[in-house]
Amino acid sequence: MHIRDGVIERIETDADDEEQFRACLRGRSYRQRLYHRDRLIYPLRRTGERGEGKFERISWDEALGAIASELKRVKETYGNQSIFYIGYSGGHGQLHGMRAAYRLLNKFGGCTKTWGGASHEGGIFASMATYGTLSTGNTRDDLPNSKLIIMWGWNPAETIWDTNTSLRLAEAKEKGTRIVSVDPRLTSSTATFAHKWIPIKPCTDTAALIAMTYVIIDGGLYDEKFLDRYTVGFDRYRAYVMGEEDGLPKTPRWAEEICGVPAGTFEQLARDYATAKPAALIAGWGPGRTAYGEQYHRAAMVLAAMTGNIGIHGGNAAGFERSYGSRNMHGFSAGKNPLEVDGPVRKDALMLRGGTTSTAVRVHVSRIWDAMLKGRSGGYPADYKLLYVTNANPLNQFPHTNKGVEAIRKMEFVVVHEQFMTATARYADILLPVNTIMERNDIAQPWLSAPYYIYLNKVVESVGESKTDFQISSELAPHLGVDDYSDLDEEGWLRKSVESSEDIEDYDEFKKAGKHVVKLPEPYVSFEAQIEDPEKNPFSTPSGKIEIYSELLADMENPLIPPVPKYIEPEEGPDDPLRGEFPLQLITTHFRRRVHSVFENVPWLAELEPDAMWINPVDAEPRGIKEGDPVKIFNQRGTVVMPARVTERIIPGVVNIHEGAWFSPDSEGVDRGGCANVLTADKHSPGGAFISNTSLVQVEKEET
Amino acid sequence: MQMTFHFNQQRCTSCYTCVVACKDWFDIPPGPRTRRWVSTLEEGKFPDVEVSHLSLSCLHCENPSCISVCPSGAIKKRESDGIVYADRDECLADCGLCKEACPYDAPRFDEEGDTTIELCDFCVERIDEGKKPICVEACPMRALDCGPREEMESEYGEKKDARGFSYVEENRPSIVFK
Repeated sequence: MHIRDGVIERIETDADDEEQFRACLRGRSYRQRLYHRDRLIYPLRRTGERGEGKFERISWDEALGAIASELKRVKETYGNQSIFYIGYSGGHGQLHGMRAAYRLLNKFGGCTKTWGGASHEGGIFASMATYGTLSTGNTRDDLPNSKLIIMWGWNPAETIWDTNTSLRLAEAKEKGTRIVSVDPRLTSSTATFAHKWIPIKPCTDTAALIAMTYVIIDGGLYDEKFLDRYTVGFDRYRAYVMGEEDGLPKTPRWAEEICGVPAGTFEQLARDYATAKPAALIAGWGPGRTAYGEQYHRAAMVLAAMTGNIGIHGGNAAGFERSYGSRNMHGFSAGKNPLEVDGPVRKDALMLRGGTTSTAVRVHVSRIWDAMLKGRSGGYPADYKLLYVTNANPLNQFPHTNKGVEAIRKMEFVVVHEQFMTATARYADILLPVNTIMERNDIAQPWLSAPYYIYLNKVVESVGESKTDFQISSELAPHLGVDDYSDLDEEGWLRKSVESSEDIEDYDEFKKAGKHVVKLPEPYVSFEAQIEDPEKNPFSTPSGKIEIYSELLADMENPLIPPVPKYIEPEEGPDDPLRGEFPLQLITTHFRRRVHSVFENVPWLAELEPDAMWINPVDAEPRGIKEGDPVKIFNQRGTVVMPARVTERIIPGVVNIHEGAWFSPDSEGVDRGGCANVLTADKHSPGGAFISNTSLVQVEKEET
Repeated sequence: MQMTFHFNQQRCTSCYTCVVACKDWFDIPPGPRTRRWVSTLEEGKFPDVEVSHLSLSCLHCENPSCISVCPSGAIKKRESDGIVYADRDECLADCGLCKEACPYDAPRFDEEGDTTIELCDFCVERIDEGKKPICVEACPMRALDCGPREEMESEYGEKKDARGFSYVEENRPSIVFK
């Protein structure tokens, strides 16, 4: 940072001689976010109706007093379970983030919390069921060791997937690795890295993977020794794939109709994948964010096992993709939620240590609005009265925004910690200003777990009266009668984090250097030990092997979570009769201008590329839609108006809205901001997968 | 000696980091005024579609057509290394002759407020300090580089054309592609 008189004037990122960790466009634009005129700079109290956006400035004392008195009232009147805490990934550091307020509420007697990761719950569930771990990936420097890389719904050019991932893909391509992309859209990653684009209908990826399995079995191209030694249940799966079980062989011809991909394309891809060893099938999370997304992830993992591409350089286990264990650093913790200690376990939880188990007091993140509206009468564990939100913009980022508006209006009290007046913040009763990464010290671990750590040092004083979530909770604690919130300050917690790490020896040196890169003698490959000596190093599943057939899943006795991967036709999928009314499949993907709903208001980013709904000319022309025309996208849940981008880069029958645009309803409740979640369904798969890519919509030209 | 850009079109993902880094470095407000831009070319019909990305700025032509048309002499070329640059104080603003003359639409102007020229100067201050321009240093894909023409050609070859780009012989733009 180039700083003059306490103000950042310019940003320059990593200038080391070693391989640099260069910022993306969002990092480069940070000055406009930090000094944005819309930053919340003092505590606010609502004066108008909820959602109207009318607030008055109050002091910190008044704000904390008001919050404390409502928390105490709700606790005494309804019990702790009526306090609903939504903390999410808005801050992702070791210290500053969703844990701060959660820790306080836990010390106050507990609160209701969500389960289910909006990004990847399907992947988590499947990885745990199949491998018993989320650490299934290899470090990115292993990519050039592959002969073939299949990017399945994987777009690291826009979603990053740890710094320098795209660079390693480029190097792989330059070294001669063949790269194929399977995706409904021709993404930037596909454009730059892939030799071939295979467009596929959303929600049908499982069928495609199963058809590839058919080709590999039929052609005897699978690695029998690997299956015998390291897996259980291949025979059961084979019976399903070949049609011995249900009389329906899952041939490429079968998949062609479902997926909209020529049968020959799957045949070729399957043969290439089975014979190009080592080959890396990288199963992105987008296809898993569909109804029965767990099955997609499971089917991909089985393909990796059948071809023996697990635990070897250049391979990939097609799992959750966590690799090197840098996420093992731990310092600041939220502590135990008293409502959950010894609490009953969720009935539909997967019983695997470290997996998605959680207690029955939790509500799935896609069902929060329904839970708030209905409470016990709707079968939820409690009636919810007070909503406390930090590091999250749930109205914008969780499904069925219009239902969210209804639910949030019904709450007796709403507290939001925020940096800007987001859709959710507009509904707060008390709104507290939070500072940014430039105004506090923190430690960032790589998002997925790569061998490096970043020290995020404080470079400027906090803007206005903004504070960290940790400061806010520390100051709110005495108002609640909590006198043991924290015995360490910011620096103390960060030191403690570093002490917990096996990688970093000296905190002060790390802080001074700003980053710590773990030097590995060679690329890290998950499951190397299991493959080398499976007797000594079993997989952490009940059988100790890769579970193609899972007893744990069988025990759940739910046909929608079968013990072997299966293609299950989804509601609002390719064959739903609802298509008569809403004939287009909506997908909601990332946009490089934003991180979810963050950075939306940064002018340098906003001007780069218009935020528009992608539609193929085949679908646009009969509707009279031309490039840039405002279009109305609607279904039974709501209506969004935004410009159209007519492009050959998306498969016909599908439209794409980039998630994260700010919900801005007009007087008739039509969203003019382009918020995708006005249209997504508030449902989840039985394993918890978010289903935001399984929604049907209709599109019309907006008459102006 | 002629300072020359290298752009590896095979690597560019159109991430725009170069554009934002440049706007931050020179504190250029949002708007059409910019020193660097990224364009995307889409060709073909579904499913046989080709997409290519191009990051460009002023290409510091060996024979720049902007200089001769500028009525105030605001655009200049350094003798020592051929860097083209504009003196914003000397620019008449609103005349637009340089923009018309440039085959690459490099001089960019805002329509309101400060309507004087914005033109890449190769980060001449950084160059003089022995550093690379901010766009080169910012590119996460290492798709941009620069140096004396001979050095660039020996390192990356002499490819003069790219998808979405035509080499104009008369101007002799200082860029080699991959």
